Amino acid sequence: MRQADQRQEPAAYERLVYKNASEYHYMKISLIFEKEGKRLEAAFFKQLIISALRDLYGEVGAAFPFDVLKFDEASLTAILRVYSSGLVKLWSALTLLGSYHNESCAVRVTQVSPFLLALSGNSRELVLN
Amino acid sequence: MHPELQQSPRNILVFEKSNFMNEKSRHDLHVLKHYFNYKVSVFIPECGILPSELNDAISRFTKYYLVKDLPVHELLEEECLEKTVKKGRFYALSYNRRIDQDDVVAILPTGQMILSVNKDTYEQLGLEGKESQYTHKQPMRYVVTVDLTDKSMLPGSKRYNRVLWALKEKVPVKMDFLLARHSTEANEGGMLPSCLSQYHCRELQASISTQKLSSLPYPVLCSCDIRGEGYCEPHQFLEWLGAVTMEIDCNNDATSFMSTYSCPEQHNTLSQALLCSITGLLLPEDIQSLLEKLRSYFEQPKLTSWLSLVVHGFADSPVSWGMEEHGFHKGGENFYGFVVFGNQDYWLHMGTGANDGCPP
Repeated sequence: MRQADQRQEPAAYERLVYKNASEYHYMKISLIFEKEGKRLEAAFFKQLIISALRDLYGEVGAAFPFDVLKFDEASLTAILRVYSSGLVKLWSALTLLGSYHNESCAVRVTQVSPFLLALSGNSRELVLN
Repeated sequence: MHPELQQSPRNILVFEKSNFMNEKSRHDLHVLKHYFNYKVSVFIPECGILPSELNDAISRFTKYYLVKDLPVHELLEEECLEKTVKKGRFYALSYNRRIDQDDVVAILPTGQMILSVNKDTYEQLGLEGKESQYTHKQPMRYVVTVDLTDKSMLPGSKRYNRVLWALKEKVPVKMDFLLARHSTEANEGGMLPSCLSQYHCRELQASISTQKLSSLPYPVLCSCDIRGEGYCEPHQFLEWLGAVTMEIDCNNDATSFMSTYSCPEQHNTLSQALLCSITGLLLPEDIQSLLEKLRSYFEQPKLTSWLSLVVHGFADSPVSWGMEEHGFHKGGENFYGFVVFGNQDYWLHMGTGANDGCPP
């Protein structure tokens, strides 16, 4: 692989522009409970979001997949991946999510981007105090 | 189901392929015109320790300053202008201000001062500006551009006095600023002018973190194949790079409940890799030097045939590349990434969000 690259001719210039071609959108969210110190397992967290989607859009409306790419049990923060066509539904369901097993909670959406890479560089997290 | 529910914010990804040795290669231009950079990530496959040349390049990144509660008109005072803007390569950006709701001020290294202000501030300021490109039907945001190097802005001139009066008397705006100036002269670069020392200032160095990764699946890349036919499609590659940077598992089954994400097909496994992240107010000149050092990484034979450099812009900067207006819709992403190949070929990805023009 390395030697093959070195023998190739230098690449000619080429440019491609993709508009709205990102298949997925990515969300960085955190779940906040009224009572502090609550922990939740990853599977229950995903099930909570699925039931929020079902409550809002019904079985058919909520029948689209999303991934919990990463979940931190201690801080209850997660990174979700959803098809771009499902972003509005997922985001609205998260906004209206109000309780888990009769305990009040809310979801704070920290960042949304069509690029997962952009989630790793959020300048709004820069704290210099 | 309403079709509006299936819409998502606009995004643009530009993907360029070229060679660093090409006379017409614009890689320097793309780096130098992206003025306000928040984070740089370097990913080197099959590498356990950061090479000393790269370490030196990173440790030489220009220091920057956080100045709290600085009245904006102070940056226009004659003494300050002489020591900052007139000397060139001076960068200033408001800190902790959100471009979708607050007033944001920036000074570009070309000497332009950009004020991205909401409607009330614009009407009170009384300076000539234009509506933001990304505003509602009723304009809620305006952009005022003042060329501080123009002869109409010489201290004492009519326009200079008017701008100074607007910022001092009409709307005495105060905000926290991040300031830096790139200089090639030793002991001169980055020093704060004395006119600003009366305010609460802190000198800061870019913060660096290094992480060693192991047993990592990675996509097979071919520098000549930019469409990803047979190899890795651009969005999939960027997704994988994001997953690596954020320590996301790339080995999930398609039937897994939690996540079905896996590394793009046609992949091998890295025994080790290095991820180095630098955050702060990072100047394009320093990033350009780092890119030069990364190019020379392949002068010695290496186990890997490529490495990656990703640069994230500030989400709340009023410009993305050059004078192109940047806004924050559902996100403020404006990033670019180089994939440097051993034969000096490169890929350049430039990504922007809804409230952005097409990258250059």
